[in-house]
Amino acid sequence: MKAVLLDGIVLGLGFGLLGVGLTLVYGLGGVLNLAYGELAVLGAMVVSLVKDAGAPLALAAVAGVAAAMAAAVLLDLTVMRPVYRQSGEHRVLLGLLVTLGVAFLIEGLLNWRDPLGALTVDIGGGPIGIFGVPMPMSSIWASAITLGAGAILVVFLGATTFGRAIRSVMQDEVGARLVGISPSFTRTVIFALSGALAGLVAVTSAMSSPLTVTQGFDLTSFALIVTVVGGLGSVTGAFLAGLLLGIVDTLSAYYVGQYITSVVLLGAAGLTILIRPRGLLGR
Amino acid sequence: MVVRVVRSLRSGTPVARSGLAALLPVAGTAVVLAVLPPIWFGRSTYTTGLAIITLVFASYAVGFNVIFGSTSQLFLCVGALAGIGGYATALFSDSASLPVFVGVLLGTLIAAIVGGVLSWIAVRRSLGVIFTGILTLVFSLAFQNLLLGQRQLTGGSTGHELKAAATTLADDRVGGYYLFAALVVIFLIVFRLIQTSHVGWAFRALRDDETAAELTGIDVSRYRVYAAVVGSAMIGLTGGLYAYSDGFINPTTFAFNQIDVLVLVMVVFGGLGSLLGPLLGAGVFEAVDQLLSSSGQIREFLYGLMIVALFLGFRRGLVPALGRLARRPVVPASPLQPRTDDGPAVPSAT
Amino acid sequence: MKGAAAGYLGQKVVEDIDLEVRTGEAVAIVGSNGAGKTTLFRAIVGLLPCMAGRVILDGVDLTRRRAHRVARAGVAYVPAERHLFPAMTVKTNLMLGAYPHRPNRETLELVFDLFPRLKERLGQQAGTMSGGEQQMLAVGRALMTQPKLLMLDEPTTGLAPKVAKAAFEAVERLKATGMTLLIAEQQVPLALSVADRAYVLENGRVRMEGTAEELEHNPEVRRAYLGVA
Repeated sequence: MKAVLLDGIVLGLGFGLLGVGLTLVYGLGGVLNLAYGELAVLGAMVVSLVKDAGAPLALAAVAGVAAAMAAAVLLDLTVMRPVYRQSGEHRVLLGLLVTLGVAFLIEGLLNWRDPLGALTVDIGGGPIGIFGVPMPMSSIWASAITLGAGAILVVFLGATTFGRAIRSVMQDEVGARLVGISPSFTRTVIFALSGALAGLVAVTSAMSSPLTVTQGFDLTSFALIVTVVGGLGSVTGAFLAGLLLGIVDTLSAYYVGQYITSVVLLGAAGLTILIRPRGLLGR
Repeated sequence: MVVRVVRSLRSGTPVARSGLAALLPVAGTAVVLAVLPPIWFGRSTYTTGLAIITLVFASYAVGFNVIFGSTSQLFLCVGALAGIGGYATALFSDSASLPVFVGVLLGTLIAAIVGGVLSWIAVRRSLGVIFTGILTLVFSLAFQNLLLGQRQLTGGSTGHELKAAATTLADDRVGGYYLFAALVVIFLIVFRLIQTSHVGWAFRALRDDETAAELTGIDVSRYRVYAAVVGSAMIGLTGGLYAYSDGFINPTTFAFNQIDVLVLVMVVFGGLGSLLGPLLGAGVFEAVDQLLSSSGQIREFLYGLMIVALFLGFRRGLVPALGRLARRPVVPASPLQPRTDDGPAVPSAT
Repeated sequence: MKGAAAGYLGQKVVEDIDLEVRTGEAVAIVGSNGAGKTTLFRAIVGLLPCMAGRVILDGVDLTRRRAHRVARAGVAYVPAERHLFPAMTVKTNLMLGAYPHRPNRETLELVFDLFPRLKERLGQQAGTMSGGEQQMLAVGRALMTQPKLLMLDEPTTGLAPKVAKAAFEAVERLKATGMTLLIAEQQVPLALSVADRAYVLENGRVRMEGTAEELEHNPEVRRAYLGVA
């Protein structure tokens, strides 16, 4: 039981970070990026490519994260521009449809180049006892990286001037423009950040199980569930929901079974929409 | 919360004709569909098979058009609703040994109820486009996992072979073709009748300005649910008949990326809310699909490219855009939109 | 500042407007609801596209600049809806006003001088304040951008008469500091009490212009806006 719970927390941290990347972009401009999971897969494939070329793992990981980030920026500078020119629900809907197309585009590209591509990150080293439970080295690394990234993110958004500027755009776009903040520039930065998070999650999740080319849509739907439960646009909410769902996921997978677990997670998202559409901590 | 109607995505063709004249385009379509096999592909089972697929998708697309095109409810569960129809048909006729047509009817009924309930929830909770989309997407994914998980019942990922399937239809492709051609024509008639009826006017008012519609006494929420019930029934019926005529279904047959994405592309391509748009969209899409089939692995990439280009370039649908172009070469100045950060305002027309 | 004409939703709501504000001057734009005051303001600061005309500040052409660049160039706009950051504290709102440059202690002192209430409420969330306090914060935040020109759009919207009067007293004190002001206001007597000069806007055109005193004694203005027969 204790072991399952700890596993759940490890998984949940990953879920949380995944959700944050999606929720930030939504919070900033109302675009639900359905190509988000594909960015993670793209990053993973770059990691695997660089790793196979003989580079050390750390370098490969950095290259992968950078690639996902670059792809996100490219996305923002090209197809997202016309989307952001719309406002209100036009923007929301067009964003949804365009990123769906982009998801196909990236998945198709990866499937075409390397249909059997998969990333496995082998950390090595024996398990370490935590609360009397032997935890594999990979879980410890993954959690440490996730917590570190989360901490940096919280400081960046909460304590820096630029972070405050980002939050100001989330709260009132017109107000932000009136004090000289450029929404389009902050959006590009947030897209880059979101891409980097996707790449990072790809690396940490490949530490425990291989990440294959076809998993992009699954990652997107996990991120979507976390985002919905945590509240669209809420960073803390995403982390909280990630932890909660991670624990639910491992418990349910352990006691009930795989497919039902997916249904349980999706059910959680559905119930959240029914009972509290704003999510746990949504605005 | 007031849900604003998606102005840039709707087609603006008003329907002024009434009575039998309104059905002329449908009659024309019926004639064309009827004569296609003898004059073109009747002898090739392969081409006839493609034509059937096109008609099946056209049927889904018309159903989706009733829900999304008429009342702006983004239902991302077309595949799931079709799956309900398909699996209900399979299970009722095989496991419960009911006549096939009873199975199809029950499937249609269940799909209609599910669609109605989803819409009712969305309306009651005032979920706007995005949350309706998420809710129905979540439902789709959950349904998919249920199909995979309940092996004893559904056969899981291996699929389900319909024992009661129409051997005649599976062999006789032309018969299958006429079945679905009839289905499309019936759906188009229903769509047209809705369009020209009292309800249709309510739909149009609702699409133009929801608040105004409400203020003139139109019960917006009730019409939303009606549209969802009718559209879902169409989708469920198509799914059931497809299962019956094909004889084999598995969860992938009704997966989100197999059905919903394509239907969305077809309907937007053909022009949201237009009568023949979905059928044209389905036809063009299948034709392009055939051209791309030789490109092998790169196909999905090209799909993606097509979707992005379509949504960014022809937000009101390619067919209406071309129609407008043909009718008057000069597009009148469209209202300026409030300028946003990314530069000068751009007219919303294509 | 030179003339601007702007279009809104395809129809020209305001046109052929020649407007000049000299340094240190307070200019009022008065007119009834729907005269085009807000449209004019939004066009000047780049929230709406200018279809013709130019906006020039100290010889610099701002005509087609985006809103955030107009703000950085020294034009601060306080919209009637205020557009504060509701979930942030008063302090953060003020600090964000100084986003393009370093927060300036003197400016902050000036804001606290004008609105001592804000100093008391530094830690409060902007969204939880009263309408009058929000208006103070909106003006305070605009001042933090260290503008050359401060534009106030209907500063009395949604305020009780007493609070509205207090708001204009603050505007008076602001003017005394040498700030250049452009104020749109429906409550003509209040506006004329502060302004040096004024323009009367009707159906998107300038109907009259003159010093505040001239307009105050103009029979037409008295009849239409001052409620004097």
